[in-house]
Amino acid sequence: MYYMGIDVGSVSTNIVLLDKGLEVVQEIYLKSQGSPINSVCEGLKILKKKYNSLQISGVGTTGSGRTIAAAVTGADVIKNEITTHSIAASYIDPDVQTILEIGGQDSKVILLRNGIISDFAMNTVCAAGTGSFLDRQAERLGIEIDELGSLALKSKAPVRIAGRCAVFAETDIIHKQQLGYEKEDLIAGLCHALVRNYFSNLCKGKELKDKIFFQGGVAANLGIKRVFEDVLGKEVIIPKHFKVMGALGAAILAKEAMEKEESKTLFKGFNILDNKITTKSFECEDCPNHCEVIKIFSNHSMIGCFSDRCGKYQASASDLKIN
Amino acid sequence: MNLILLKLKEVFSIKVGIPGGLLYYRYETFINTFLEELEIESIFSTETNKEILDMGVSCCVNDACLPMKIFHGHAAALNEKCDYLLIPRIMKCENSESICPKFCGLPEMVMSGIKRKEGVITYPLYLNRNKEIKHYLRKIGKDLEIQENKIMAAYKKAVNNHKLQIQGIKDQGYRFTIFLGGHPYNLYDRFANMNLIHKLHSYGIGVITEERVSDNEKEAEIKPLMKKPYWLFYKNNYGAGKYLVKDQGIDGIIYISSFSCGIDSITIEMLKNDIGEFPFLILKIDEHSGEAGIDTRIEAFADMLERRKLH
Repeated sequence: MYYMGIDVGSVSTNIVLLDKGLEVVQEIYLKSQGSPINSVCEGLKILKKKYNSLQISGVGTTGSGRTIAAAVTGADVIKNEITTHSIAASYIDPDVQTILEIGGQDSKVILLRNGIISDFAMNTVCAAGTGSFLDRQAERLGIEIDELGSLALKSKAPVRIAGRCAVFAETDIIHKQQLGYEKEDLIAGLCHALVRNYFSNLCKGKELKDKIFFQGGVAANLGIKRVFEDVLGKEVIIPKHFKVMGALGAAILAKEAMEKEESKTLFKGFNILDNKITTKSFECEDCPNHCEVIKIFSNHSMIGCFSDRCGKYQASASDLKIN
Repeated sequence: MNLILLKLKEVFSIKVGIPGGLLYYRYETFINTFLEELEIESIFSTETNKEILDMGVSCCVNDACLPMKIFHGHAAALNEKCDYLLIPRIMKCENSESICPKFCGLPEMVMSGIKRKEGVITYPLYLNRNKEIKHYLRKIGKDLEIQENKIMAAYKKAVNNHKLQIQGIKDQGYRFTIFLGGHPYNLYDRFANMNLIHKLHSYGIGVITEERVSDNEKEAEIKPLMKKPYWLFYKNNYGAGKYLVKDQGIDGIIYISSFSCGIDSITIEMLKNDIGEFPFLILKIDEHSGEAGIDTRIEAFADMLERRKLH
C-alpha cells in the first residue's frame, strides 16, 4: 500500500511515494520543461517499473499544475502548494515555525504556530527572487546551476547587485562583470540580492521564529542558505526531502483523506500511460471574454477542461465523467 | 409650438455615454437616477470583459494602474456610440481627504487615449459639497439644453436614491467572515478581480467591506495615528479594517490591490503594522489573466482559516 504525491510546478515536477508508515520509498524530481503532462507521465513510467496500479491506495496533487495532473492521473486530493509544504514540514518536524520556500517561479514564507499556518505570503506578479532568476543568471555566466552554491561559498567579497528586478540585476551583473569582478563574487552577490529581495517582499513585519526550514528547489543552493543564516542570525535547516516537500505533503493528505473516508482511490492506474494524452486549446467566441479554453484528451475522450471563466466547458467535462 | 417640439426632439436624440469603470461603482445609483429623471438617452458600457480590457490596455499610457486601463476600455467601447461622453473630473469625494490624483487628469488621459477631441463632458466635480454638485449639474444642463428646474428636481431624486442605496457588502451566515479591503473599483469589478467574492463564498467565507463600517468608527480608529490620512480610501480601509479586527470577530483580512497603487501601498503597510499577528492576505491584480495564482492564494487562505478553527 502506497500513497502518491505529485507536485507539478513551473520548473520541476516531483513525485513522492509513501508507504503506510509515511516513509518515503521513492522520490522523483524531473524538469517540467513546459509540458507538465509529459513530465507527470515520465514520472509514472519510472514508478510503473517497480509498482503495480493496485498498490497505490491514494493520490494527491499540488503545485500550479495540480488540476491538470489530477485530470491525467485521477487524484483523491487536490491541494494548493502552501498547505502541502506546511503539512510536509510539520510532519518532518512538529517544532517548525517558519518555512522559507523558493521554487521556480514563486517564493513564499509560511509561519506556523503549533503546526498550524498562522500567516503566509507569496511573491506577487514578479519572479525576480526565484529559481528561474538564478537559472537564467547561471546560464549567462556559463555555470551549471548545481555549482552555483558551492561557488558562492568560495567568495570572500560579494559584489553588490540590484535585486529588485531581474532585468536590473542582469544589467548590474554585466556591468560588474566587465569591470573584472570574480565570478564567485558575482554569484555570491546574486545570492545576497535574492535574499534581500525575498525579505523585503515577503517577510516585512513577520516574526521568523525557530525552527526555520528552507525548502524548494533553490534550497540546493548552499550559498543562499548561508546568506539566510547570516541575515537571520539563526540556524536554517534544509530538510532531507527539501526538493519534493510539496509532493510529500500531498501524499500525506491523500493518506489522511483515504483513511478518513475509507473509499477507493480515484487513481486511474499506470495503464493511462498506454493512452495518448493530448491537449487542445481554442478561443471561445461566445462572449466578449474570449477565454482560451484548454481541453485534455486521453486517446479521444475528454478527461479535463480548464480556463473557461463561465465554467460551461468544465461542466460538460464533469458530465462526461458521470456518464 | 413646432419649434419647441423640434427643440425637444433634438435634445432627446442626444446620447450620453457613461463608462462603467472607476468610481462609477460608487456613484452608480446617483448617475443612473439623474439621467433617468431627465429622460436623457444614455448608453452604458457593459460589465468589464476581455475585449474592454484589451481596448483599454492598447489606448492607455503603459504605466497606469489596471482600473485606469479598464476605464479607458469602457470609454473606448462607447466612443463611437454616443454624442457626449461623461467623464467627470472628480476632485474630491469627501471634505477632509483626497482621492488619487489620476482622477483629475482622467478626462485628458482618456481623450488622448481614445483620440476624441470633442463631445466629452469634463467639468471638475467636487462631490464633498452639494453646492458644487449642483453647479456641476447646471453646467451639464446648459450643454444639453435642459431647464434648470428640471435639473434640480432630478438632482434631488438622485441624491435621495443614492442615500437609500445600501453600499458595500456585509454577508451573513457563512462559516467565516473576513474584511475585504480595497478600492471599490477593484472590489466590485468581477472581471478584474477574477470573481473573487464568488470564490470566497464557495469556500464558506463571507465578506464585509469598508462601506459597512460607520464614519464615526473609522474616525475613532484613525485618531491615534501620528498623521491624519491624506487619502480617502486609506482612511476608509484602514479605519474599517482596524475596527473590525478589534471588536467584530472577523477571521481575517483580504486586501485586493491593483499593481502599482500608491495609496494601497500605504494602507496595506499601515494596517499590517497596526493589527499585529492576524491572517492577512494581499492579492495583487494586474493585466495577467492566469487565475491559478489567485486561486492558490485564496485556497491556502481558506485552508488556514479552516485549520485554525479546528485547533
